[in-house]
Amino acid sequence: MKIKLELFGASKDLSDKDFLELKLSSNSSISDLRNEIINYVDKNFKGNKDFKKIIETSAFCSENNNIVSDSYKITKDQKIGIIPPIGGG
Amino acid sequence: MLHAKIIDLPKEKINLEKAESFISSSKFGASIVFYGTVREDNEEKKVTGITYDSHDELVIKSFKEIYDEADKKLNIKEKSVFIEHVKGYVGLGEISIIIAVACPHRSEAYDLSRYIIEEIKKRSPIWKKEHYINKDSQWLKGNPINVNENN
Repeated sequence: MKIKLELFGASKDLSDKDFLELKLSSNSSISDLRNEIINYVDKNFKGNKDFKKIIETSAFCSENNNIVSDSYKITKDQKIGIIPPIGGG
Repeated sequence: MLHAKIIDLPKEKINLEKAESFISSSKFGASIVFYGTVREDNEEKKVTGITYDSHDELVIKSFKEIYDEADKKLNIKEKSVFIEHVKGYVGLGEISIIIAVACPHRSEAYDLSRYIIEEIKKRSPIWKKEHYINKDSQWLKGNPINVNENN
């Protein structure tokens, strides 16, 4: 499956674009997606610890704008948003 | 009555007059206009501006939830609320957020205004990248979203 991972906040430092394109095997979960992003950091940023911490503490948002848990199953190609720790105002 | 919007700078502008006009009504005897601006220092660093990022759909959803909760948690039924938050670059002293509320009585208005800003800080997916006088910049550490509360 192809996942377009939309980047927000500190996760924007993972790419020059506003998104990453990742491949996951079918019947994957958010937990698998999180691991795939960590693999991406290992490959492209020499395992940068700050980036890994951001990914480990991020939530994820489904295509229909719901925050989803690590067990949420991704069943088709779709957009997923990564939601790092927040702080506006 | 709720107005909730993300202002995409520099295409759009945020302004207090619009907020005051929205909440103005003879039904209400107490109005509070809160606005947040970019401060010149943070943790001993000289700040020149902040770039805000936002997940627009989730932010608007959170504003609506916070507004609806005011009925149950604060028991404030009659109210007018205007919330705008910017995304994009904001210079020193410029406005990043406006929360304008109007209620029949002042105690409700103070409670509601405070409740909304504190909940936005906890729950609305908005991020800040500070820019400093030495040209460095960094995303500020925030608070993780509680997944269970949102499911």
